[in-house]
Amino acid sequence: MSTAESITAQDLNKHFGRIKALKKINLTIDSGQIYGLLGPNGAGKTTLIRLLIGATKPTSGKLSVLGYDPVKQKTLVRSQIGYMPQSPALYEDLTARENIRFFGYPHLNKNFSKRIEEVITFVGLNKRANDQVYKFSGGMKQRVSLACALVHQPKILFLDEPTTGIDPQLRETFWQHFRDLASQGVTILVSTHQMSEAMYCDRLAILHEGTLLADEPPHQLLWNKKARIKILRDNQINEELVSNYPQALPILLQQFGLDTNINRIEIEEETLETVVLSMMEDQETSEGSN
Amino acid sequence: MAMIKRIGVMTARVLNQLRRDRRFIAISILFPLIIIYFIKVVFDVLAPPSFNISAYIVPYAAFIVHFIAFILTAIVLVRERTAGTMAQMFVSGYRQIEIIIGYLLAYTVLATLQSLLVLLELNWLFDLGFSAVQMESMYLVMWLLAVISMAIGMLVSNFARNEGQVFPFIPLVILSVILSGIIVPVDKLPEWAQVLGYLTPLYYANEILQELIRGGTLMDSKLNLLILPVYGLVVVGMVAISLREKD
Repeated sequence: MSTAESITAQDLNKHFGRIKALKKINLTIDSGQIYGLLGPNGAGKTTLIRLLIGATKPTSGKLSVLGYDPVKQKTLVRSQIGYMPQSPALYEDLTARENIRFFGYPHLNKNFSKRIEEVITFVGLNKRANDQVYKFSGGMKQRVSLACALVHQPKILFLDEPTTGIDPQLRETFWQHFRDLASQGVTILVSTHQMSEAMYCDRLAILHEGTLLADEPPHQLLWNKKARIKILRDNQINEELVSNYPQALPILLQQFGLDTNINRIEIEEETLETVVLSMMEDQETSEGSN
Repeated sequence: MAMIKRIGVMTARVLNQLRRDRRFIAISILFPLIIIYFIKVVFDVLAPPSFNISAYIVPYAAFIVHFIAFILTAIVLVRERTAGTMAQMFVSGYRQIEIIIGYLLAYTVLATLQSLLVLLELNWLFDLGFSAVQMESMYLVMWLLAVISMAIGMLVSNFARNEGQVFPFIPLVILSVILSGIIVPVDKLPEWAQVLGYLTPLYYANEILQELIRGGTLMDSKLNLLILPVYGLVVVGMVAISLREKD
């Protein structure tokens, strides 16, 4: 994996009237990384992506995509990025192949037809490439949408909730595609509100109400997780919330004494979901107290 | 060169969609023809035999073409916005002017067919008795008006966030029937209304058509004939300025 920076944002703010959609965002994304943007609806994920693709201007702050300003050097940026919107933006009267050809045309030069066939194979559309898109299921439309974003071999791929509304099997296939692309050096910025997907990312940013709460590898986020230990002894339940349960458990047992009649020990570790939710709650509490 | 190619791809895409959207073709081609047929029925019942029908029916038909071309273009373009395909075109590297010209060229094919069929129907139903040159001249005027109507439809679509927001613009187009002199001569209107009339393309189209109906030629309406394409270019310029990726 190369470590060159693909995307940087410095003190990025975006306001829509009184609404502060993004507040002082700072982030750096390295080439070839799968960078996850995790957050609930309205957290600012789509706004951040739209800023990075130059579809909207920042209120203040600096942005760089592959070394270019996405607003002032829009054409240069767009020739090297692919964007897959939240809901597939396709012409339903046209076939999958026609859609891919149309959206890929402005940035495709050599081996145009060959590249279209390659991308059709990559997303597994060979058998349905000549069917009109209105005949497709939601998952198939997402495949076409991904192919449209990929066809011109972008260096960065922006995926706005790409797996929303598709079945688990196809979701797994999509993530396999993303991993394949990242291994080829493509930087992927993917937004999601599905915790299960967040673990697939090399790095994870947690956005909540326009604020970046964390920006680190997902396993690092889990290092700080807590665990609830329930010990049932003499028909009484003792509960403890501890930060590091492998260390805490022997100490707890020692406190009870080895001759104690322990019936059961339950250990309930925090999941990424609970870690993220508690971070969001902490932020809300601190904002409320300020 | 690259821009011309992209315009070509855009035009081909829109034409390809039109070819497959039979309902859209039916509405844009058949509706004007059906409305004109019913106008014929009304004239047959109400108008006295000595009534000079051409002075009314030709501009009425021009208005119908104007109205349908306007509304269909506006709705199709708004649909591009609501479906997200407009934004996707921008992200994919198409520029405003390529989108506008691509659409106009494709829809001009439709307008060419639409104006031709309307004029042929008029001649058949009302037995207008014009010469071939007069008919060709009228066709040119109607065609120009249809293309301008599409540009106006594109302009309106830039100010509407959904299909429903196109509808408040419809009364403006209907008002142009009164202001353009089709029903009442413009000089009989209050002065402020006359000024408004000059803002509608239908006024210039009607002036030329009336001259042709009276037996004149296009050369007799040189100024109005020049104003129509200029009007169209100004509208296209306004479309280019207002067509933006929105916040």
